[in-house]
Amino acid sequence: MIGNDIIDLHLARRESNWQRKGFLSKIFTAAEQQMICQATIPSDMVWLLWSCKEAAYKIINRITNNRVYNPVKFNCTLSDEQEDTITGTVLFEACNYPFISYRNNSYIHTVAVSHDVFLNRIDIYTGNSLPSHLFTTGNALVKNQDGVPYLMNCGTYSTIPVSISHHGDYVGLVRNNLFPGV
Amino acid sequence: MDKETLIAQLKEIVKPYAKNQEALLNINENTDFVNDLKINSANLVDVILDVEEQFNIVIDNESMERMLDVKSAMEIIEAKLAAK
Repeated sequence: MIGNDIIDLHLARRESNWQRKGFLSKIFTAAEQQMICQATIPSDMVWLLWSCKEAAYKIINRITNNRVYNPVKFNCTLSDEQEDTITGTVLFEACNYPFISYRNNSYIHTVAVSHDVFLNRIDIYTGNSLPSHLFTTGNALVKNQDGVPYLMNCGTYSTIPVSISHHGDYVGLVRNNLFPGV
Repeated sequence: MDKETLIAQLKEIVKPYAKNQEALLNINENTDFVNDLKINSANLVDVILDVEEQFNIVIDNESMERMLDVKSAMEIIEAKLAAK
């Protein structure tokens, strides 16, 4: 299972005042709030952690089909933080969801998976529009009755789970690729 | 407080965050904050904080989990006001 979340950092700056009273404590654990306080650029840490929670939430939502607004129950831990790539895990109800995040000055794109092995078996796209080449070779984007997206091969009707995220100028997409390199 | 007054107050609260103005104009008990009003999930916490300030109540995590639509928000506000 996969989930992804993209944040347009310029838009996030305009849309949210994370410094308002009560904001951090409603959505971040005490440990996460400490990570934000100690970060070189606190706002970057706010949106990094938020994207991790959202990406992991999308996996849970895909499995349970239950909509709940409980970001504080998703515990993020970073294991490696480079300037442009961050890895770690999100703990939710005793299950770990590994994630990888890519960031630059304009966006943060986080992909979470239900198990480590999937991190090597996914294709990740980040851009200003959906990657059109995915949809031209007999593939169509379909959604099941709960709104969960899949890529369907129009010849065989076989489906591959995809996760799509939009924010501001950016679109993120991740799809399972069980045969990397093919 | 009657339902119309409460919905009108909620409408003012969500106005700055709603991206679908038509859905905002037609706001009612069945309006969903995310699916209908297109409020982004990071702004849902602003809605919750604004509700807390406006009604002088505290919305605990358990209530917050359900605050995804007008109907749930009204139930939570009414219950918190009654418990004061």
